[in-house]
Amino acid sequence: MPKELVVDPASSRTPGHLSQATIPVHAYATPIADEIARRGAPALIEALRHMLLIREFEGMLAAMKAQGAYRGIAYTYKGPAHLSIGQEAAAVGSALALDTGDHIFGSHRSHGEFLAKGLAAVARLPQADLDRILATHDEGRLRDTVARALGRDGRALAEDVLLFGFLAEIFMKANGFNGGMGGSMHAFFPPFGCYPNNAIVGASAGIAAGAALRRRLAGDGGITVAHAGDGATGCGPVWEAMNFAAMGQYGRLWQDGGGTGLPVLFFFTNNFYAMGGQTAGETMGWDRLSRIGAGLSPTALHAETVDGTNPLAVADAVARKRALLLNGDGPALLDVECYRLCGHSTTDANAYRTRDEIKLWEELDPIRQFATTLEIAGVLTEAEAVAMREEVADRIEAITRAVTDPALAPPVDVAAEPTRIGRLMFSHRAIDLPAEPAPDVGDPTGSAALRGIARKARHGLAGDGTELAPLRAITLRDALGEAILHHMIHDDRLVAWGEECREWGGAFGVYRGFADILPHHRLFNSPISEAAIVAAAVGHAMEGGRSLVELMYADFIGRAGDEIFNQMAKWQAMSAGALSLPVVLRASVGSKYGAQHSQDWTGLITHIPGLKVVYPATPYDAKGLMAAALASQDPVVVFESQRLYDKVETMAPDGVPAGYYRLPFGVPDIKRAGRDLTILTIGPALYPALAAARDLAAAGIEAEVIDARSLVPFDYRPVLDSVARTGRFLAVTEASERGSFAQTIAATIARHGFASLTAPPRVIGAPNWIVPGADMEATYFPQPDDIVDAVMADFFPDRPANRRGLRDWDDIALARTGL
Amino acid sequence: MTPLPVPQLGNEITEAEITEWHKADGATVEEGEPIVTITTTKMAIELEAPAAGTLQIRVEEGEIAEVGTVLAEIA
Repeated sequence: MPKELVVDPASSRTPGHLSQATIPVHAYATPIADEIARRGAPALIEALRHMLLIREFEGMLAAMKAQGAYRGIAYTYKGPAHLSIGQEAAAVGSALALDTGDHIFGSHRSHGEFLAKGLAAVARLPQADLDRILATHDEGRLRDTVARALGRDGRALAEDVLLFGFLAEIFMKANGFNGGMGGSMHAFFPPFGCYPNNAIVGASAGIAAGAALRRRLAGDGGITVAHAGDGATGCGPVWEAMNFAAMGQYGRLWQDGGGTGLPVLFFFTNNFYAMGGQTAGETMGWDRLSRIGAGLSPTALHAETVDGTNPLAVADAVARKRALLLNGDGPALLDVECYRLCGHSTTDANAYRTRDEIKLWEELDPIRQFATTLEIAGVLTEAEAVAMREEVADRIEAITRAVTDPALAPPVDVAAEPTRIGRLMFSHRAIDLPAEPAPDVGDPTGSAALRGIARKARHGLAGDGTELAPLRAITLRDALGEAILHHMIHDDRLVAWGEECREWGGAFGVYRGFADILPHHRLFNSPISEAAIVAAAVGHAMEGGRSLVELMYADFIGRAGDEIFNQMAKWQAMSAGALSLPVVLRASVGSKYGAQHSQDWTGLITHIPGLKVVYPATPYDAKGLMAAALASQDPVVVFESQRLYDKVETMAPDGVPAGYYRLPFGVPDIKRAGRDLTILTIGPALYPALAAARDLAAAGIEAEVIDARSLVPFDYRPVLDSVARTGRFLAVTEASERGSFAQTIAATIARHGFASLTAPPRVIGAPNWIVPGADMEATYFPQPDDIVDAVMADFFPDRPANRRGLRDWDDIALARTGL
Repeated sequence: MTPLPVPQLGNEITEAEITEWHKADGATVEEGEPIVTITTTKMAIELEAPAAGTLQIRVEEGEIAEVGTVLAEIA
């Protein structure tokens, strides 16, 4: 809703017709003599050698999977082998055109792309840079191992390190590039521009778009390449990513000088099959993949279909797209047609294609074609080609022999340190904020909305103890906003986006006034693309940015499931700690809008290893925990209750400090002291629990109420100490009880606090059915009466008490019916 | 004199903050021109001048007014 762009009906309603940019198909026709003149014969011969290395490398993997041996080297490899035999020209051609500073993001079938980019870097980086990279990675240990095992130096050593480090990673050895935590489908090595491959089809599209956002803002002059297969065009998140990279606002609203789009190339290696489904003709509506560009931007994303069996056709196209991206005219799309001559995996029986079809494409084997082209052009003799093949095979054999030697590539010794992998999940590091404001931020006193917040009382209670109205005192909404604004002002690496984040101020006003002082490239409205919102946040963070993204309702987590569960949560560990993911995901928990807009999904998020999770219930806690989340180097999900946005601070003695502060993650807070019973609450359940505690006090029962505040991490000690005093434990949550985090806490308290307990721990959550509409909500979320009932029935059964709430049901009987 | 009261902006809203006057006291305003932004706990909204004339501000920026309070009059 930017007011500077008027939606003018006179313009939009003018009759006419749409035309679209022409999409070239197989237009490459440069004579080989011109290529030799332009690139030099050695570069072309080197490209052939790289294709041969990839072919031999993958042939070795195929042999290991099929026969358990390669050239007499026996090895049992249990992991995946999604091979790209037949697709080498696409990978090597692209690498030929890319700069070492360009970054590629891969797919599950990206061995070839990884090796091509890495080999190009080894061939082209200055020796001093190579030496530094090898000396820095794992403090030079991998270099030393490889030099000792294979006895080469200079560029040859760098090439050996690339092949060894990659194969060791595929075999998940401790000295693989990613410490054995990535493997075949997740390997990467940033110093050579090889950013993560990805086991989820199409997942790199959004990540690469976010990476390109960071590169645009950092102004470092490189592009990113999102590698995907043709099958990925069936994935919604890929479309979201392409649109995210092509949004109109870059050219029309942003003032950062970065052009009309993000510098990302969507590179579809089109092998005509999505595993066993044929894309054009069977599973997709497009006839040519490149056609989809027309659905995304007036430039059709500069889409082209190119011959992926010819590395020079690919290099030509990539070079032209790269120039467009560096000129600010991105994003771009390439449909690179080639053919997977091998199966999807080693269990592929080719049931979905004919032998005749495979033969047709074997005629176009890119390696044979290119070798013949070079021989005909007179830059390579047949004998030289044969010698090159033999040298390449010997090299791969030597690498394989080394990597399968446990003395050189030891397995990850988990037994020696059983929590070793766990230690990689979080870095627990936090940044210091610069003292001075970033240069691209306006003066907050120039914003009427921010002046309004600044005028409010810091404490929520008036002198006479009455609660101030939310317009008169700092609310939880304001407190979140203060922490966020402080980070936005002082850290220009931090960029925030989500739906209606600018003029609207975020769907629930947390960013109210921010648009007055922050430029578009720091705070922007995203499309309704939850997958792209989160994927871009991940990519932006991987490249050194810091990301703050908002999902309007926590219920929309489902729309970003892969991006939250598989990407945001896992890359720190899958990189063995090499990558930091400073991403804060804000998820607002609704109320009053029924089954798809009111769910507390803390149980879902805490179940996924790799995410820190907080759910503050008071303004003081919200400000301090949000600041800690934004300072964190680890990914954090912040749940915010819409019912609490207007809460003023009534418990912290000094209200909400105006200055900046952080609260530590993982520390539950005693909000009310008591001796008879411990009530642990999650999020907004704090308030009914406090109300219940007041009612219980009238009956002579003093409840201690502890607000969890953080769910991951979580320190049980204060809760166990409380239980040691009270002997009784109740957890209250607004999440559905089954599988909730409250159940996890209760189970842990039962085990570790068993000696103190006088009764089994109890959990009260929402029942295992849909959240009903506003008028029925009190029957669903735990109310003070429900809490009092549970306390009296479970912990004080000998005291007379009339049941007050609705929860008079039999949990065991309900479970039998699926409830 | 045409009054500009704080409108009823929702069944849970009882008051609003006068966030920003876009026109100064005594300024000439056109009917329908946005002259003030007010903020409730739910939203910020611009109010338009109910008539053409001279703006006479009755409630200053930063104050909080109940629904129905006259914020300004147009003379």
